[in-house]
Amino acid sequence: MAELLQHLLNGLVLGGTYALLGIGLTLIFGLMNVVNFAHGEFYTLGAYVSFAALALAGVDFFAALAAAIAAGAALGWLCEIALLRPLRNESIDTTMLVMIGVWIAMQNAELLGWGGVAKSIPHPFPTAPLVLGPVAIAPLRLFVLVLAAGLIAASWLLIQKTKLGRAMRATFQDRDTAALMGVSIGRIHSATFAFGSGLAAAAGALLGPIFLVYPSMGDLASLKAFSVVILGGLGSLAGATLGGLLLGIAEELGAGYVSSGYRDAVGFVIIILVLLLRPSGLFARQERIA
Amino acid sequence: MGKRSIVLVALVLVALAALAVPGHSQSPVKIGVIEPLSGPVAASGNYVRMGAEIARDWLNAKGGIGGRKIELLIEDNKSDPKEAASAAEKLIVRDQVPAIMGAWGSSMTLAAMPKLQEYGVPMVVETSSAASITKQGNPWIFRISPPSEMEALGLERYVDKLGVKRADFLAVNTDWGRGSISAFGDMLKKKGASVGVAEYMEQSATDMNAQITKIKATGGDTLFLTTAVEQITLVMKQAQEQRLTRKIVTTGGSSSPTQLIKQAGAAAEGSYHIVFFMPWFPEAMPDGKLAKAFVDEWAKRGHPFEGLTEGFRGHDGIATIAEAIRIAGKDDPKAVREALWKVSVMGVNGPIKFEKDGPAGKESGQSKPSIFIVQIRDGKVALPDFLAKK
Amino acid sequence: MTRAGGWLVVVAALTLPLWLRSPYHVHVAIMAGIFAVLAMSLNLLLGYTGQLSLGHAAFFGIGAYTSALLTLKLEWSFWPALAAAVGLAGAAGFLIGRLALKLRGAYFVLVTISFAGVISLVSINGIELTNGPLGLPGVPAPELGPWTLRTKTAYYYLVLAAVALSYLVCRRLVRSRIGRALVALRENEPLAESVGVDATHYLVLAAVVSAALAGLGGSLYAHYTRFVSPEVFLFTYTVTMVIMVVAGGKGTLSGPLVGAVLFTVLPEALRAAASWQWQMLSYGVLLVLLVFFLPRGIVPKLAAAFPGRR
Repeated sequence: MAELLQHLLNGLVLGGTYALLGIGLTLIFGLMNVVNFAHGEFYTLGAYVSFAALALAGVDFFAALAAAIAAGAALGWLCEIALLRPLRNESIDTTMLVMIGVWIAMQNAELLGWGGVAKSIPHPFPTAPLVLGPVAIAPLRLFVLVLAAGLIAASWLLIQKTKLGRAMRATFQDRDTAALMGVSIGRIHSATFAFGSGLAAAAGALLGPIFLVYPSMGDLASLKAFSVVILGGLGSLAGATLGGLLLGIAEELGAGYVSSGYRDAVGFVIIILVLLLRPSGLFARQERIA
Repeated sequence: MGKRSIVLVALVLVALAALAVPGHSQSPVKIGVIEPLSGPVAASGNYVRMGAEIARDWLNAKGGIGGRKIELLIEDNKSDPKEAASAAEKLIVRDQVPAIMGAWGSSMTLAAMPKLQEYGVPMVVETSSAASITKQGNPWIFRISPPSEMEALGLERYVDKLGVKRADFLAVNTDWGRGSISAFGDMLKKKGASVGVAEYMEQSATDMNAQITKIKATGGDTLFLTTAVEQITLVMKQAQEQRLTRKIVTTGGSSSPTQLIKQAGAAAEGSYHIVFFMPWFPEAMPDGKLAKAFVDEWAKRGHPFEGLTEGFRGHDGIATIAEAIRIAGKDDPKAVREALWKVSVMGVNGPIKFEKDGPAGKESGQSKPSIFIVQIRDGKVALPDFLAKK
Repeated sequence: MTRAGGWLVVVAALTLPLWLRSPYHVHVAIMAGIFAVLAMSLNLLLGYTGQLSLGHAAFFGIGAYTSALLTLKLEWSFWPALAAAVGLAGAAGFLIGRLALKLRGAYFVLVTISFAGVISLVSINGIELTNGPLGLPGVPAPELGPWTLRTKTAYYYLVLAAVALSYLVCRRLVRSRIGRALVALRENEPLAESVGVDATHYLVLAAVVSAALAGLGGSLYAHYTRFVSPEVFLFTYTVTMVIMVVAGGKGTLSGPLVGAVLFTVLPEALRAAASWQWQMLSYGVLLVLLVFFLPRGIVPKLAAAFPGRR
């Protein structure tokens, strides 16, 4: 039983960050119809910015997190207006291809700039784990879980309560009507991409100290993000949140009880099953995308 | 004559003088190098490259090979076997190198091997550990790194001193990790120890908590860990978080204990590491002076200290090839291959001399590298406690 | 492309080994040919049905492993192994076609990625069958009657034949009633269905042919490189195929061919032109620029510039 609880706790921490990645991508993919293969690179960017801030500039953790989010959002905004907006009328494959190019370019620029050696991000927490009954959790992980939850809540508030959020939701539901109602679609797109990339960067800054920072860390993150998005349903924040948590827990349980070699397969199989049984994802209410 | 004309004449004279200097009209000796310089193991590939460059510069400072300078043609295999094969093809056909060093990962090396056979060019394998590399019957392969079986044999005499009664394994899910588990498992069973579970982790995995939880439940006394230093760091930190208290022994030589101390901190305390180079006490190496000089040169170039445990392979590989070319007297691949059998040179790791390995009639060459074990104690790398009782 | 232009290309391709200076160039040509088969196969799905399969490396890998295992372990000869590779990959395509029959767009993409992921993990962990990460070295070269096709030139012609075959199969399919149905589905599925086009039937057919061709490419790859390892399932192979199809011009017959040649030659040219630190970065930047200036791909741009038969 203790083992099961430990697995669940591990999965929850991981799932929180998967949720952050998923929320960002579900908005980008859902609203802008862009297959953003570079999403994982913003995750990596966030981790490197956090490293630079903490290890080189010596600022505190929150400032580093803020810097990472700002960097991700800024670069995302830039990508949108420089690359995606001019290609707005092209097919989904064209925008996908341009983001593949951005992915390759960003990852290798990081390799060139930082070198291939993994970096360790210093953090102020003690390493001795907190013992809560039968399970143990490192203080850093608990902190990350709390922050991730906070960011997820903040995203919710932004989408549900602010004018920008309303405009984004309107654009997602019915672009033409939203445009007729005066929503500037171009600005919504830029804002969405910036927001999504900023969240990905936040996930990177949060996971960076737990793991390590190296140029190819974003590849798996991208894949997980896509899984979360489809699991939860395109464009659904609740779906991405719960999907992220589910994926994290499923992976942990799969690795713990089935086989560690097939750990990632568990995620894949779940996705296939979900898609076969509930094609529009677990939470989306609309029909399949035609 | 104005000042400008004087400068012009001076330039022309200098240019003529440069053309007339003897010895520089000799073409350089080209040696091919194939390493993963981008992708997930870019750090290791680059360390090997840095070591190779030191060997090149040292040899060139002493006049090169027969008066000709050595030139390294460095290719990136992008951690992809297909690229390793293409790189080998390009080096052999376009650049006409007489020998190659590479290709770090076992799958990359195996992918390049058919090209070596096709064109008849030898390759010195500096890192790959898969047993199959020297058992394929490819007479153009010469390996200076130890296959997992050899590594396991190197640990055999310490098994009792270490007090290994029940061992578990956690390895990266590649040929290296799996080969290591099988080799060490066999060795331990021969010594009468029992083998518990064997868990795997994907190369890019960052969360090994599930595996650690399973290992915790076995009640073993030793965990054998085979993966690259980044994952070792993560495993150690996560093991500490889960309060796993048992001996940890890392194998494979890629553990870079210095980097572990920096990044895993207290989580690495007490762990043992099988390495093939001890840059912390170079005097203890078979050729202490050479080892120390290598460590100093590495530091002089500003390379990170933690890269030494892999960088030396690049040096030893190039030193081996250069010696073979010297013995052959010409940079013809077939002559270099025959010369490789005659090579007996001292590398940073120790003496390098090839013995036959593989099916009769088409043997590959395998050297017997020195194998060491160190321990992290009090936040520093030291000789293991069971050895240091003097 | 004009008729004369087309014949010129054919003649050039047939005589390539004669005027290429070195075996290294022939090697590049062979790799380009293998990827041309792969790109054309992906184009059937992506270009003509509008469904993006991001798991295409799975069919490639299945073909490679099938061919390698049959010739290595069961000592089959090359040609039946090739047929088996094509068949098994096609069967996998049938499976995916039926599984994903309800899904479109993003969901289909994810099923294909997941499928490739699972197959990849099976190849790594299924040691008894695939030898796991240690891979399968020593895959034999194909024989044609009494001769072994070990030389580069001979293999080049084998690959060229496969490219021609794939091109003809695709062309036949696309220009037939089936092809028209696929395009109708791509452009407007509800409308097509309303006039009696059975989406399921045609999509599955496209998936089977597409996967079978990819399996052909896999077998050719296995017997050329003589070594198969789980890396064939790497996502980067799928990405490369996608790049070739979209940059070359999806939905055109010659687009994937052009894309395959360009994106096989480009990394090798970068290997010669740039030192290793800059190669991949340049590749990424060049890709972005290419897409930016030629968003529909190369062939459609050329077709617009030189109107005539495509």
